[in-house]
Amino acid sequence: MILHRLVRLLVVLLVVTFLSFALLALLPGDPTTQILGVSATEEARAQLRQELGLDDPLFVRYAAWLGALFTGDLGTSYITSVPVTEALVERLPVTIELLIAAEIVAIGLAVPIGVAAARRAGSTTDQALTALCFGLLSTPVFVLGVLLILVFAVKWQVLPATGWTPISLDLGWNITSVLLPAITLGCGQLAVYARLLRADMIATLQEDYITLARARGLSPRRILWRHALRPSAISLITAIGLNLGALVGGTVIIETLFGLPGVGRLIVDSIFSRDYLTVQGGVVLISVGYVLVNFAVDLVYAAVDPRIRHA
Amino acid sequence: MRRRLGKGFWIASGWIGLVLAAAVLADLLPLPGYDETLVGPPQAGPSLAHPFGTDGLGRDVFSRVVYGARVSLGVGIGAVLLGLLIGAPLGLLAGYRGKATDAVIMAVNDIALAFPALVFALAVVAFAGANLRNVLIVLGVLGVPAWTRLVRGTTMAFAGREFVLAARALGVRDRRILWREIVPNVSVPAASYAFLGMAVVIVAEGSLAFLGLSVQAPTPTWGGLINEGRTIMENAPHLVLAPALVMFLTVLSFNVVGDRLRALTDVRQSGLEHVRRAAAQPLPTAPHTPGGQLLQVADLRTHFVTERGVVKAVDGVSFTLERGRTLAVVGESGSGKSMLIRSILDLLPGAGVVRGGKVYLDGDDLTGFSPKEMRQVLGTRLAAVFQDPMTALNPVRTIGTQVAEPLRVHLGLSGKRARAHAAVLLASVGIPEPERVLRRYPHQLSGGMRQRVTIAMALSCGPDVLFADEPTTALDVTVQDQVLRLIHRQRQERNMATVLVSHDLAVVAEWADEVIVMYAGKVVERGPAADLFERTRMPYTEALLQSVPRLTDPAHHRLRVITGRPPDLAALPSGCAFHPRCPYARERCVTEAPPLFQETREHLYACWYPRGTEAAVGDPVPVALGESGPADPVPVALGESGPAALGEPAAGPVPAGTDRNGSEPGGPEHNGAGSAGPDLKRPELAGPEGADNRGR
Repeated sequence: MILHRLVRLLVVLLVVTFLSFALLALLPGDPTTQILGVSATEEARAQLRQELGLDDPLFVRYAAWLGALFTGDLGTSYITSVPVTEALVERLPVTIELLIAAEIVAIGLAVPIGVAAARRAGSTTDQALTALCFGLLSTPVFVLGVLLILVFAVKWQVLPATGWTPISLDLGWNITSVLLPAITLGCGQLAVYARLLRADMIATLQEDYITLARARGLSPRRILWRHALRPSAISLITAIGLNLGALVGGTVIIETLFGLPGVGRLIVDSIFSRDYLTVQGGVVLISVGYVLVNFAVDLVYAAVDPRIRHA
Repeated sequence: MRRRLGKGFWIASGWIGLVLAAAVLADLLPLPGYDETLVGPPQAGPSLAHPFGTDGLGRDVFSRVVYGARVSLGVGIGAVLLGLLIGAPLGLLAGYRGKATDAVIMAVNDIALAFPALVFALAVVAFAGANLRNVLIVLGVLGVPAWTRLVRGTTMAFAGREFVLAARALGVRDRRILWREIVPNVSVPAASYAFLGMAVVIVAEGSLAFLGLSVQAPTPTWGGLINEGRTIMENAPHLVLAPALVMFLTVLSFNVVGDRLRALTDVRQSGLEHVRRAAAQPLPTAPHTPGGQLLQVADLRTHFVTERGVVKAVDGVSFTLERGRTLAVVGESGSGKSMLIRSILDLLPGAGVVRGGKVYLDGDDLTGFSPKEMRQVLGTRLAAVFQDPMTALNPVRTIGTQVAEPLRVHLGLSGKRARAHAAVLLASVGIPEPERVLRRYPHQLSGGMRQRVTIAMALSCGPDVLFADEPTTALDVTVQDQVLRLIHRQRQERNMATVLVSHDLAVVAEWADEVIVMYAGKVVERGPAADLFERTRMPYTEALLQSVPRLTDPAHHRLRVITGRPPDLAALPSGCAFHPRCPYARERCVTEAPPLFQETREHLYACWYPRGTEAAVGDPVPVALGESGPADPVPVALGESGPAALGEPAAGPVPAGTDRNGSEPGGPEHNGAGSAGPDLKRPELAGPEGADNRGR
């Protein structure tokens, strides 16, 4: 089983990296024009093409690129002359902190909302929470972000609209600067998670072992949190893994909107400065990270559901 | 259709139609051009001339939003169609062909799904150029895996159905089957997904536009408008709010329409009875004085208020139970046995349920208890064991945690002491190596072991009454007897009372002191086990007895079954609910429901023409029989049917031909007219006497 998953992981990683690579390689246009400018001679270009290995077949170039990737070399930006890996590593902590904070917001709110809605399915509370989730689900993340900025930064001026304080500099300010972006990013996920948890929880609450727990005179709170939550959480964990893709896409927008110096912002900035190598590096990093996290999520199931662990 | 889709569906459809019409007819509308500057004062708020105000260059925001809808809806519809055109054939192929085709398509699909879509769309658009065509193609292609998955799943479900299999077996060509049988069935889920998908694409296009990577200026896009507006948000919030509101409403509408369409095919929502909120009028309950018994149930009723009408799951059940006795509740599935138990314990599902009648435990009225008071009784004085040990234990908690929990909650034992006590409990129900089992999860134990664990849990706080709802039905035959023996032994040791729900009459005959036979939520016969089996009166009981297979039957002996099906509780037959299946039914049974008659003081039955009595063989003309005074049994008043209320041994004339002292078994030979009905040879059930020999 583990072996099967590992093989699949490898295949997915190969495809993902190949596509990221091909994206740049198959583009119309010539990188030598970018490096040498439009006025360069044909000989100079041909020489550079050979140096860069651009005349080799696609798969040979991919193999070379993949080999370099294993040593952590994603090339050096033609525009900024900064090694792409270095630029990414510098920006990565911001994105990771944003992702974690957003997941904390999303899960932290989704679990109580899902449990409260499932407890009395069909009640007014349930209907209100379900409507709230449906609304959040229909709000694009940049719309929500702009609205939150309008309320919290422009009208009430309690949180900064843009800017970033690294965690190493000042924890308090760091939290202040991550709060609004994390809430924005987390709210869209919150709706997905809460709906899933509610549905699974309602199914779990029909189980015999829940009725029997009631027959043992246990309190509703104990039954909901200790008996029903964990068996209902499997879909939620899958969703957390699967939605990471959406969340990573969201960081690109959030980082642009809130002016956070993360990987997403780097990608967008590089797109506009036509720094394609950096864009490629960013896409590789995000895709590979996403695949690896999904793989890890598979392993987390086992911890939640002993039936899988012992299977 | 209109009712099932709901109001929200039509409002949302209306909004989508409105936005679509505005986008299509934008050029014909009397609007200023979207890039016409200074049509009004710059950054002016909403006014009559400019309903969404104007932007920094004095352009009309309403016009820009309307033209922006062209891009959003255009990309939305285009990308969804593209995804559908590529994904649906792949899904059909994978789902219909199965095997290798399916494996290959789905493997590619899984890999495609492992991509962070938006980042990829971003990169492709950035490299290939930001224009309408590229955005549409990228978002369309990124939607393919989801389409493939959806269509494949639905196709698979239908490809396995009888009508498709039949068509295939008849040699109908595949293409024809696909178009005739499968495509129509896939279309509703596909339509639903098309709307949900459009919501996703509109958001994605908006995100790209917000980043400046969709259709380029001067063409307005919703995402672009919001991005432009946010720089001067402080002075002119309407620049952001107007497009944001329109976008939100549009995405919401697509989601609502998709969601409602999905609900159409949702088995869970359309197939199951949708339980409406209770018009929570508690059922009227006659005043009642409890007797001195341990458990007394008086006229208990449990009704479900559903869209199809009131379902009377339990309808006026009364009984009493003394310490150390076993009461068996017998009936087919759907007769209300399990619901009776859940009703007594107040474990009914919350919505749409009404309960009436009284339940007394040592004279305390449990129906008057608050949920908190009830919790102090449950587990400590009343305990329950259910049918299926596979589902009775929480799969993700260890046996130790589960067995120790009531001890900690109710008896306040510390974790360590509760665990030690749990081990003792497990040992007492015959589980070897209890310490090891405590660390196990339910799935690591056999069915029999699990049921022992659930019994141990039920007994942990020393209950007065144990409710065992078909405790052995799901177990191997070899284990069944052990478990019943265990319950019986525990009952003796602890001097508890047991309520044993079963459809297995052999079990009932062996272990029960008293028996209740239920049909369609009502008690149709009740009495001491020996008496009930000896002098069965109600034809339903008789049929149940006859349907018990016996080892003494010759090989290939036709198994007797009760013809027909248990009745639909929402639409009960008139008169006696059993009459459509009763071989002896006459006209009176169709028109009038029989009350409970007395056979003896304890033995009651609900039948106009009880078996083994003269009434059963009387005049076939029902009217004459109904008026034949002396032969007409006298009903026992409902609600006073508890023995405590029965002052006199017999309140009225006992049906003629019945030997009250029981010296003669009321067999069909006795009244000599058994030939009127089918062969009524009484089954040789292991009676209570026989049970005594088996080591009671």
